Amino acid sequence: MPDFSYLPQIALSGIGVGCIYGLIGIGFCVIYNASGIVNFAQGAFVMLGGMLTHVAFVQLGLPLAVSALLAILIAAALGVVVDRLVVRPLWDRNATMFVMILATLAVQIVIERLTLIGAGDQPRTLPPLTDLPPLMLGPVAVSFQLLWIVALSLVLIWLLDLFFKRTRIGKAMRACAINREAAALQGIPVSRMLALSFALSAALGAIAGILITPTQYTAFNVGVPFAISGFIAAIVGGFGRPLGAFVGGIMLGLAQAVAIVAFGAGLKNVAALSVLLIFLFIRPGGILGEAK
Amino acid sequence: MTLLVLERVTRRFGGLVAVDAVDLSVAPGGVTAIIGPNGAGKTTLFHLISGFQTPDLGRITFQGRDITGEPPERIAAHGLVRTFQLVQLFRDLTAIENVKVGCHLQTRGGVLTALVRPKGAREAETQVTATARELLAFVGLDASAELPASALTYGRQRLLEIARALAAKPKLLLLDEPAAGLNSEETRLLAAAIRRIAAGGTTVLLIEHDMNLVMTTADTVAVLDFGKKIAEGTPRSVREDPAVVAAYLGTAEGAHA
Amino acid sequence: MTTSRNIIWRDRLAAVAPALPWTIALAILGYAFLAGGYLVTVMSFALIYAIFVTGLNVFMGYAGQVTFGHNAFAALSGYGSAVLTASYGWQPLTAFAAGMALALGGALVVGYPTLRLKGHYLAMATLAIGLIVYEVAVQWQAVTGGYMGISGIPPLGVGGFEIMSDRAQLAFLLLVLVLATWSAMRLRASRFGRALVAIAGSEDAARALGIDVAHYKLMAFLISAAYAALAGSLFVHVVGFVSPEVFGLHMVVLAFTMLYVGGIGTAAGPLVGAVIISLLPETFRALKDYQDLAYGAGLILLLIYAPKGLAALGRLIPRSKES
Repeated sequence: MPDFSYLPQIALSGIGVGCIYGLIGIGFCVIYNASGIVNFAQGAFVMLGGMLTHVAFVQLGLPLAVSALLAILIAAALGVVVDRLVVRPLWDRNATMFVMILATLAVQIVIERLTLIGAGDQPRTLPPLTDLPPLMLGPVAVSFQLLWIVALSLVLIWLLDLFFKRTRIGKAMRACAINREAAALQGIPVSRMLALSFALSAALGAIAGILITPTQYTAFNVGVPFAISGFIAAIVGGFGRPLGAFVGGIMLGLAQAVAIVAFGAGLKNVAALSVLLIFLFIRPGGILGEAK
Repeated sequence: MTLLVLERVTRRFGGLVAVDAVDLSVAPGGVTAIIGPNGAGKTTLFHLISGFQTPDLGRITFQGRDITGEPPERIAAHGLVRTFQLVQLFRDLTAIENVKVGCHLQTRGGVLTALVRPKGAREAETQVTATARELLAFVGLDASAELPASALTYGRQRLLEIARALAAKPKLLLLDEPAAGLNSEETRLLAAAIRRIAAGGTTVLLIEHDMNLVMTTADTVAVLDFGKKIAEGTPRSVREDPAVVAAYLGTAEGAHA
Repeated sequence: MTTSRNIIWRDRLAAVAPALPWTIALAILGYAFLAGGYLVTVMSFALIYAIFVTGLNVFMGYAGQVTFGHNAFAALSGYGSAVLTASYGWQPLTAFAAGMALALGGALVVGYPTLRLKGHYLAMATLAIGLIVYEVAVQWQAVTGGYMGISGIPPLGVGGFEIMSDRAQLAFLLLVLVLATWSAMRLRASRFGRALVAIAGSEDAARALGIDVAHYKLMAFLISAAYAALAGSLFVHVVGFVSPEVFGLHMVVLAFTMLYVGGIGTAAGPLVGAVIISLLPETFRALKDYQDLAYGAGLILLLIYAPKGLAALGRLIPRSKES
C-alpha cells in the first residue's frame, strides 16, 4: 500500500515543478502560434538559463539578479540566432514538418554539446532566491523558492496576457498566428515577429530554468526531459493561450506527484508520458480545446 | 432507376446553414451542372455526396443504396468518384503513376501479393499499365506519361486528375470546378473531354462558374443560392429564370447577354 | 550545338547516377570482408541499422508519415529475445520469433489509436511510445537488468550450428538486408506500394479513389515495426549484450540521419546512409568530444541544403520541364 501521507508534500513540489513545466509549455505555444513549428530545442534554453546564470554568478562574480538577467538576454538572443540560421532557411525551402522537428532536435544536440565542451559535465546549482527556512503549514514544508516560483509564474502569465491583448506588438504576433498572409498584407513585419517569438520563447525557457535550478541542479543534459514535460503541458493545455499551458503544467506536476507516491519515483517519467499519450489519443485539442 | 437521389440534405456549421434541405435527382447518362454564386454551398454539397462530410439532416441514395454518412473510400467503391476544387494530384509521382493509383479499385491484393507476385497479379499489373496509358491518351496526355505530375501545366494537371478518376471506372463522376484557372483553349479541351466521358456511359455531375462550359456541356442545370436549390432545368430555361438572374445580380462570370 | 551534347552527357549521367550509391556502398562492404578486423564490426552495425532504416523508409518514405518511436519495437523485440535466451534458456531462433511477435503485438496495440493523429501530434505520440519503452527498460530491473542490461546472449544458430565468426555474421546480415531491401522494393512496385505513396501525396485524393487510408497506414506501420523488430533482435544476438541505451533516443537520431543522408524514399538510401554514418565516427574518432557536436551541426546543414540525400542524386540532374 503506497504511503499517501507524503502526498501533500510531494503534491506541493509537484505544483512548483508544474509551474516550470507551464512556463516551458508557454514557450512552445508562442512559437507554435506564430509559425506552426514545434521547437524541440526549447529544452536547451531551459538548460542555458540555469547554466549561464551559474557561470556569471560563480565564475564572473556578478550579483545573482544581474547574472539571471544576463542569462535571459543571452538565451533570447540565441533564440533569434536559431530562428535566423536554422528555422528560416528550412522554412524558405518548404521543408516538411518532420525535417523541421529533426532540425530543431539537432539544434538541441549542438547547444548541449557546446555547453558540455565549454562548461564540463559537472552538475551545478544556484542558491535559492530567499535564504530562509521553509514555512510550515502543519506537516507540510513550504519553501520560499516554491513561493517565488508560483508568484513569478503568475506574474509572468499576467504580463504575457497583457502583452498579447494590449500592446501593438503582441497583437501583431497574434495576427501572424491567425493568418500570416493577411498579417503581411496589413504591413506587419512577419519575419521580425517570428524572430521575436523565438526570443520570447527562449527567454521564458531560461526563466523557467533559473527558477527551478535552486531546487535541483542543472547540467548540460537536463534540456530534453524539460522540453518533453513542457510539451506535455502545452498539449494538455491545448496549444493556445498561455493560461492553458500553465494549467496543463500544473496538472502534469500533480499527476507526477500522485504517480511518485503511488508507484515510486522511478516511474515519474512513465507517468508523464502516459499522460501525454492519453491526451493525444482522447483529446488532442487539450483541456481548453475540442475533443477529436 | 435514378442514379443519385438527395432528399432534404442539410448541413449546418454552427449558426450558418451551408446546405439547406436540398432535393436533387440525377438520372443515369448525361451531364448535370450545379451552379450558383460564390458561397452558395456547392462544394459543401459535393463533400456531402462524396462522404467527406456528413449531412445533419436528409438522405443520399446512390444506385438505390443509402450512402448517407459512409466514408469516401466506401462511396468510391460503390462507383462514385470525385475530383477536387484545388487539384489533388500525387505531385511526386509521374502522370502515369497517378492514373495507375486510380485503378486501385479495379485490382486486388495487399502485402502478400506484392511479395509473392502470383501470375494473376502480374497480369493485373500489365492491365493496369495498359488502362493507364489508354486513359492518358483519352485526355490527350499520352506524351506526358513519364513526367512528374508537378511538371505539367495547370490545365493538364486538371485533365490528369480527371483521367485518374476515370481509372476507377465510376458510374458517377463528380467534377468540382474543373475549369477554374484554365484559359479558354484549355476550357475547350475540357468541355470536349467531358462530352466524351458522358458519351462513354459515365454520368457526370459538375460544379462550375464558367457559364460557357456549363451551357455547352450540361443537359440539366441546378442552381444553388445560400444553400437552397432555387431552380432546375435545361441550361436555357435556367439562364432565363428571373430568380437565377436575381441571385447572380447579372454578374455571372463568362455569361454574355 | 553544344547544348545537345550537354544534354546527351546529362542523360547518360542521369541514367548511371542511381547505381552509384549502391556500387560505393557495396565496394566498402567488399573491402570490409577482405580487410577483416574492426571494420567488420562497424559494417555489421551499419547493416543492422540499414534494416531498421529500410523499415522507416516504408513508413516515412513511401507513406509519408512521421515516427520518432520505432526504436520501441526494436527494443521490445531485442529485449524479448534477450530475456528468453539469457534468462530462460530458450533456443535463439524461437526466442527471436517470440521477440518479433511481442514487438508486432505492441505495434498493433498502439498503432490503431496513434495513427488517427497527424502532424506534430503523431510525432509526439510516437516519441512518447519510444520513451516509455526506454523508461520501462530502465526501471523494470528485475527483468531487464536496468542500466546494466543483459549480457551473455547467445549468437543465432540452428541446432548445433552457430554463426560465430565475424565474417560469417557480416555475410548473414548482408543476406538479411538484401532480403529486406528486396521486399521493400517489391512492396513499392505493387498496388500496395502505390496506395502508400498515394497517401503521402494526398490523403483526400486517395480516399476519393477508394483507398482505405486508415488500413494502409496501419499496414505500413506494422511493416516498419517488423523491420525494426528484426533489427533489434539481430542486434542483441550479434553483439551478445543489450542495455536501454542501445535502443534509446540516440538510435532514433542516428537512424534519421542515415535515412536523410542516404535519401528518403529510395531503395539504396538506407544502406548508403548506414554505411556512411557508421564510418563517420571512425573518421572523427580523434575529436571525441566534438563528435556529437559535429554530428548535430552536420545534420542541420544536411537538412537545409541536401534534404533529398545522396541516393537521390540521380534525380537532382534536371530533366526538361514541359513548356
